[in-house]
Amino acid sequence: MRARALDPGDVLRLVDVLRRDREVLAPFAGRGRDTVFDTVTDANRDRLQVHLPNPYYPPKRFVFPHIQRMLRIDAASGRFEPLHDEKPRAIFGIRSCDVAGIHHQDRFFLGGAFRDVYYERFRKSLFLVNVVCTDPERDIDENCFCVCAETGPAARDHFDLQLMDLGGVFLAVAGSEAGEALFAEPFFRKATPDLVERRRRLLADVRGRFKAATSWYSAATRLITQGKVTEEAWEEVGNRCLECGGCVYVCPACNCFTVTDRKTGPETVERVRIWDACALGGFTRMAGGHNPRKAVHDRRNRRFFRKLAHYFVQRELSVACVGCGRCVNVCHGDVGMPSVVEILRRRSVQDERHEPVR
Amino acid sequence: MSPCAENPYLPKVAVLDRIVDEIRDVKTFYWHFEDPAEQEAFRRFMPGQFAQVSVFGAGEFPASLPPSPTERETFFTIRKVGSVTGALFNLKPGDRFGVRGPYGNGFPMKRYAGQNLVIVAGGIGLIPLRSCIIYAKDNRSQYEKVQIFYGARTPKDLMYREDLKRWEQASGMECHLTVDRGDETWTGHTGVVGALFKKPGVSIPVQNTTVFVCGPPVMFRFVLKDLKALGFDDRQMVSTMERYMKCGIGKCGHCCIGVAYVCTDGPVFTLEQIKKLGEEI
Repeated sequence: MRARALDPGDVLRLVDVLRRDREVLAPFAGRGRDTVFDTVTDANRDRLQVHLPNPYYPPKRFVFPHIQRMLRIDAASGRFEPLHDEKPRAIFGIRSCDVAGIHHQDRFFLGGAFRDVYYERFRKSLFLVNVVCTDPERDIDENCFCVCAETGPAARDHFDLQLMDLGGVFLAVAGSEAGEALFAEPFFRKATPDLVERRRRLLADVRGRFKAATSWYSAATRLITQGKVTEEAWEEVGNRCLECGGCVYVCPACNCFTVTDRKTGPETVERVRIWDACALGGFTRMAGGHNPRKAVHDRRNRRFFRKLAHYFVQRELSVACVGCGRCVNVCHGDVGMPSVVEILRRRSVQDERHEPVR
Repeated sequence: MSPCAENPYLPKVAVLDRIVDEIRDVKTFYWHFEDPAEQEAFRRFMPGQFAQVSVFGAGEFPASLPPSPTERETFFTIRKVGSVTGALFNLKPGDRFGVRGPYGNGFPMKRYAGQNLVIVAGGIGLIPLRSCIIYAKDNRSQYEKVQIFYGARTPKDLMYREDLKRWEQASGMECHLTVDRGDETWTGHTGVVGALFKKPGVSIPVQNTTVFVCGPPVMFRFVLKDLKALGFDDRQMVSTMERYMKCGIGKCGHCCIGVAYVCTDGPVFTLEQIKKLGEEI
């Protein structure tokens, strides 16, 4: 392990080093429980905290913005040019679940037959400083289930630098060459085997501090892949869905989008892509009005099918659920991922039990 | 700008050459790419593939490719159904619009070599299948029997009338037409397209045959039943699917049916594949 020790007082100095040549985004406390990713500035840097609840609005928007300008078009001449954003950015304090979320987006947008260049440009200029959730009060929410998703509490890979608060001292682990290069800064000290051992013990302890939420995906994946989920089970999920699309917008692994042309001046148009949600009624409606997926449970279940069917897991080699628990927090109908997995299992097991004995 | 992979969302500039009326609300738009190199590259498409058409300021939509790669000209046949197709209908020859593609798997025409081809189309379902018909006609020696069955609501709704005349007279292929309701000029067959299979003198070989089916959902269901009754199995029947699409390259998520993306895994599927997708169509 390429690791160094860091004094708590020097964490801000690390942020300042990152700010020299890039925009640094970090979670800040807002009103009540709310936290939000914001740009670190001279004015707010002293309010930076390492331990605080993970923001609802996920950091995927720094690689896949909510609204992204793709082309600038001159409507009169039909000439157009692509619009790209290559501003170097760093996310300080991204949680392990969200690191896995960005890795899933990498697999999706950069894999397959076509590479998404808009995503690629954002991703190439993004530096990730992962903070391990170690404070059961402030970091871990009652709906966190990264332990089931095997994405946390400490990410194993896909970050540039990982910080872990061992109490009075931080252990920094490099996950990339760019991350390791930061160890040249004078405030990093040599890590001792004792610190590495403390890290191991703390992680084992934190794993036991997770709360009620559990999600046994493997069973749900098996039921879905074998086609054993009954129509009634899907309907139960569908009946609880209010079609708000909230779960999709807060999900670090969801990535559907729509594309539209919008006027920006008398003769200028921009082609933009905007997050879209499979729960919404118009998602599959074609011009002319035909909609192959009409019933709400068809649409609702689409999302879980897409996330859990073995075919897709194999396609991206990563599950489209990272265990962040955001969908549980925002869902008015209590059909976040853990509830759905439970409904699918309970319903299917009941049906198996009621099969007539021959 | 740093070198990145080519931008797959970037349309290529096309120039509209001429517009031909087909039937009510359906027109054929002949066009060419401004850049001749693009035109050459594009002409390597396969029957059954599609392209994304941009009308700048209105948006983008997927459109199947009715020309065959064996033809010289490139064109789309479009029904005016929404805002972007509506904007396309307002363009005049000489106007610029955008095209990117070709996308999708297309019909594996080379794999069908040595087989009988049965092409069943209803209404504007003939648009994507026109490409297969012309391709088979221009590579006639590669295929055994070639039969076309085409139905429309009325004689006024028959697509590609010039082509139909040529196919009816062409030696080496059969072309059977029908309409749901005839008019005073109509002397041909009246009835649904499936009824043509039992017309006197028609004999459809079941062995070593691929059937192409494309048309509105109702026609699709009944034709499948008729073909089943003739003895065809699900592996022999191929169709091309239509879905709301925004990217054409497997990213936007709109065209997903069960485990398949229509844009990259399709739009051509055998009936056997369609049944295994894991979602009702």
